[in-house]
Amino acid sequence: MNAEIYLDNNSNLHRLDPRTKIITFLLTFIAILLFENPIWMLPITALILLQLIVSNSFRNLGRIRYILMVLTISSLVLWNIFAKGVTPFFWFLTEESFMFSIARTLLMILMISAGMILISTTRNEELVLGMIRLGMPYRVGFAISTALRLVPTIASTAMTISQAQRSRGLDLDSGNLIERVRKFLPLLVPVFISTIRNTNIFGMALESKGFGALEKRTYFLDLKMRSMDYAVIAFAFIFVGASVAMYFMGYGRIPGLTRF
Amino acid sequence: MSEPVIRIQDLRYRYRGQKENALDGINLEMNKGEFMVIMGPSEAGKSTLAATINGLIPHFHIGKLKGDVVVLGRNTRDKTVAQMAEVVGMVFQDFEAQLFSTNVELEVAFGPENFGVDREEMRRRINENLQYVGLEAFRRRAPSTLSGGQKQKLAIASVLALKPTILVMDEPTTDLDPISKMGVFEITHRLCKRDDLTLMIIEHETEEALFADRLALIKDGKLVKVGDAREILRDVDLMSDMGLMPLGIPRFFKSMGGKALPLTPEEGVIAFKQAGWNIPQKAYTDMVANENAALDRMNQPIIQCTDLVYEYDKNVKALDGVSMEIFEGEMIAIVGQNGSGKTTLAKHFNGLLLPTSGEVFVHGVPTRDQGVFKLGQKVGYVFQNPDHQIFSETVFDEVAFSPRLRKLTEEEVKRSVSEALEAVGLAGYEKEDPFSLTKSGRQRVAVASILAAKPEVLILDEPTTGLDYAQQRGLMDMVRQLNQNGSTIIFVTHHMWVVAEYAKRVFVMKDGKVILNGSTREVFSHDQELRNAYLRPPHFVEFSNMLGKTFLNPQEMENCIKGEQLT
Repeated sequence: MNAEIYLDNNSNLHRLDPRTKIITFLLTFIAILLFENPIWMLPITALILLQLIVSNSFRNLGRIRYILMVLTISSLVLWNIFAKGVTPFFWFLTEESFMFSIARTLLMILMISAGMILISTTRNEELVLGMIRLGMPYRVGFAISTALRLVPTIASTAMTISQAQRSRGLDLDSGNLIERVRKFLPLLVPVFISTIRNTNIFGMALESKGFGALEKRTYFLDLKMRSMDYAVIAFAFIFVGASVAMYFMGYGRIPGLTRF
Repeated sequence: MSEPVIRIQDLRYRYRGQKENALDGINLEMNKGEFMVIMGPSEAGKSTLAATINGLIPHFHIGKLKGDVVVLGRNTRDKTVAQMAEVVGMVFQDFEAQLFSTNVELEVAFGPENFGVDREEMRRRINENLQYVGLEAFRRRAPSTLSGGQKQKLAIASVLALKPTILVMDEPTTDLDPISKMGVFEITHRLCKRDDLTLMIIEHETEEALFADRLALIKDGKLVKVGDAREILRDVDLMSDMGLMPLGIPRFFKSMGGKALPLTPEEGVIAFKQAGWNIPQKAYTDMVANENAALDRMNQPIIQCTDLVYEYDKNVKALDGVSMEIFEGEMIAIVGQNGSGKTTLAKHFNGLLLPTSGEVFVHGVPTRDQGVFKLGQKVGYVFQNPDHQIFSETVFDEVAFSPRLRKLTEEEVKRSVSEALEAVGLAGYEKEDPFSLTKSGRQRVAVASILAAKPEVLILDEPTTGLDYAQQRGLMDMVRQLNQNGSTIIFVTHHMWVVAEYAKRVFVMKDGKVILNGSTREVFSHDQELRNAYLRPPHFVEFSNMLGKTFLNPQEMENCIKGEQLT
């Protein structure tokens, strides 16, 4: 079973410098956060879709489809409760709140997708090196990359543990909510214990390979900004700049919407 | 005589919160280019000793250190682990946790990066070391997609890239399958010939200690004996007393009253012929006939597979047409290298996996009609790592988990728990915290927690991995007792001597197929086929095969020669 998040597709997106991808990622967040009206979010949605297609990273979104579905449904429900409009739509919904709930749902999905694209197309080490070159201290960058690295390891340990407990008669699919939550205890305790144990060895191995021996370390990876990178960054700045301008000119809002 | 590379003087160490010293007055010197193997039972202080060489003790593990470890003139007390890393390389048992990069090249580059090596030199070291361990074809791959053996080779390469003077390996092959073990051993055999490298390896495999210059035996934190490896290995009584596996060949010759004890199969054959012994044909044929008759008496099928195929992904067949029958009361071993499909097969027996095509029957009913919950009462499955299932605060609760889930009354729960604990030799431990037990103790708790559901069939996945010889013996003796009390036992293992001594029938798997099956003796007589499946019989069996008969242990051969029948 392959639990890696990074997809070794070598697409155009993969070949971009990690700095480009990090900057674009941050700018994307601004663009996503600006508008209340989902129609105004369509351009950024289209751009993210394009990235998904170019990098072929739908597979990773597919892996978290259940989480995405739960988030979508709960967000649609919640924002219709917590936002109110003036034009009745149907039942207790208003047109404004409905539009807004779509925008907020889209916001969440887009943010997740943007993050997923970043880690699907960028190796851990490249990501860290990119962040370091953008000014982050090495140790912080390494901590982030370690956290990312642990996800697949923990996922596969959890798989084994769930099989072991099912063999002992644990049935996760029955019972009421409280019973089900209690049933996760036999899964969680072993996951924690083995993760802690692994982390300990990880720490030893890290130090044994000279982690932090010198103030200044070197990097085997060589990052190079190419014309493609500058073009992408320039485009991202223009796009986000334009979006911000539109926002301040008052576009993309939903008149009559009250949020709580 | 030049200055020793490692000098350990009156070393004592106690982990924080412990009452006993883990190391208790160790004095040891190692010279340049030497290859030393350290052996000892579990908890003897072997890993602790290894951790003192590169300063993980006292800097990483907190505790009380007395005495000195001086490596190339540097006292580990005054240097950080990272500073020591330049001269002492360290390879750990757990090959998953010691790799942290997303591709093979970067993994090797990690150490040199920390020491500010420039890019050109790094590229040179990557090429050199990947070639040395035979991974140059995998340089772009993610370490997580490599096999266990390849991961361990990568760990070795990544440490060698630091150009250490001393290489310490802490049980590098314990978690590996036989072929991967051989691969790693092959590398260490080459490493020990390099006179610029001092090698210290902690090892469980007695047969591998034969290659060492010196052998150090350690128990309760004290050095019991240090000396010429072959000399110590001849002392089979000392090895047994230490709870280590004695070599079968010297054991046999000693018991036969031989003087000069041969160590390897080749030496054994020569000595055997010189002694002028011969194996009476009739005694041998009788023994084999008795054994086969006993197997034939078991004829009630309990598990049957017909044309079993299982695909993890489309077109990748983990099992490719397996047909087999297992009878009530059998003791079966399933062997094969990692990825041969043995665990996948075993997981079909209790319904954890369902066939892609074909059928698995338990008591004549297809597993797909029964489900894991129901099957769990008939077929118990003990997973390899007990830490993947233990979660309770007391041993009692842990073992009671399954019976309680099956809605037994508290009275019945109590009874089955105490029976299960009795069976694994843990009666009286009910109130203990399972996490405070040793690995073999936790393994026993895991077995008990499965036994408590009173299954008819017990599957054990690698039950002896990570245990020392005495513990392996203890656990397998207990399993054999369960078998004699009527349980059908199926175990998956890499330990060939466990198969030789405990299994009655063996299935050899390769590429998702059963390529060999029969009585243990018959399977072990197919030397060549086993090798093709990358399995190697124990030295003693190999030796007897060279003599034209297959014996599974020294006792059998001795009885046969002396004309006594085993009952």
